[in-house]
Amino acid sequence: MKLTKQSQNRDAHTLAGAYAMDAIPAPDRERFERHLAGCEECAREITSLREATAMLGTAAAEPLPAGLKERVMAAAAMTRQQPPAQETEPVRQARGARAGTWFGSLAWPGRLALAAGGAAAAAVLAVAVVFGVANGSMQQQLDQAQASSHQIAVVLTAQDAAMTTGPVAGGGTATIVMSPSRHALVFTAQGLHALPASRGYELWLIGPDGTRSIGMLPAGSHGMTGPVIASGLRQGDHLALTAEPADGSARPDTPMMLDMVL
Amino acid sequence: MRPAPATPAGTDLAGQITLVARGDAAAFDVIFEQIGPSVFGVVKRVIRDPAQSEEVTQEVLLEVWRTASKFDAGRGSATAWVMTLAHRRAVDRVRSVQKEADRERRIASAEIPYDEVIEAVESSLERERVRRCLSSLTDVQRESVTLAYYRGYTYGQVASLLGVPTGTVKTRMRDALIRLRDCLGVAE
Repeated sequence: MKLTKQSQNRDAHTLAGAYAMDAIPAPDRERFERHLAGCEECAREITSLREATAMLGTAAAEPLPAGLKERVMAAAAMTRQQPPAQETEPVRQARGARAGTWFGSLAWPGRLALAAGGAAAAAVLAVAVVFGVANGSMQQQLDQAQASSHQIAVVLTAQDAAMTTGPVAGGGTATIVMSPSRHALVFTAQGLHALPASRGYELWLIGPDGTRSIGMLPAGSHGMTGPVIASGLRQGDHLALTAEPADGSARPDTPMMLDMVL
Repeated sequence: MRPAPATPAGTDLAGQITLVARGDAAAFDVIFEQIGPSVFGVVKRVIRDPAQSEEVTQEVLLEVWRTASKFDAGRGSATAWVMTLAHRRAVDRVRSVQKEADRERRIASAEIPYDEVIEAVESSLERERVRRCLSSLTDVQRESVTLAYYRGYTYGQVASLLGVPTGTVKTRMRDALIRLRDCLGVAE
């Protein structure tokens, strides 16, 4: 049976309450948002209903756990803010210096930033986030960067995030922040030996079940590469770094320049 | 002539968010004091686990810092903006973490959480108003709202829990929020 436009609208309308309370599964949510985009009246209704749900939320207020505010304030100090929407420029113009403003979520738990030596590494990572992907400059890469910057923030703000640094054979320092509860780590390096254009650094996870490539490190600038996120970590995994042909290898073919037991 | 804002920018929450968008850490501090406990409260209601709730609260507040420039005062209050972010994040977390089957099982034994709001109330004017307005709803309306908002269930899950058709739940949810909105006096 074919639904008339009117009955579709009526159906979408009844979803307003569920939508305003996020009581709506993902497919319905998308359908309703498409409807909202073309229905000024519905958008106004959602806005007003959300004032009501916000009151339900504030009625549930509880004192914040100790230290939470300090952690978030410290993370905010290291986190780039998004520019206002009206300043968004076409991608072509967003290249270079402005490209850095397209993403740039970087969080850093205060307790890590304050740990011995941590502050410097945090700054390195912050700069790496800003510059690391800006070199890529294609819209797709920027979109990916935005998505992965969220994942990165999630790892860095995890309660159990811990930082390790280690030397890279051939020069440079690798920094990882790992969250066992998230089964993920964020990798960044600085001062790596520059490779010819035909070659690049490839990051690997080597575990009991075999070897898998995390991917090529993005071309660095200012001597920094990354950040790169590796997820799905398993017990007994090693993190390894090798120099491979620029488009990557299926297996590490050259000596390990870094081999960290996770 | 445009009506003057109730409070000058900088003293109300919307004004603070405008300042935060410019990187003002002191304004972020004010936001923390004003709405941090509400964010934590609603996140914990939905997620339950204190450690995870703390993590999501951090994510939400950092998101406020990061995306403050996206706040549009023409599309609702600052409180609604932050609380919408918070609630959605909490709901997304429980839905992604919990296996559906696992969740269904729990639904079957879930208690109606209406009293949670009622029992937890301290003598705050705002809570008193919420309590009074929730009490003015029909049972199905109130249960639909509390299960959806405070527990993070979808309308389908609420329907199976209450043993009523999903169409009914959808309608009750909308009716309930309209009544709440009017009762709370937060209509535009």
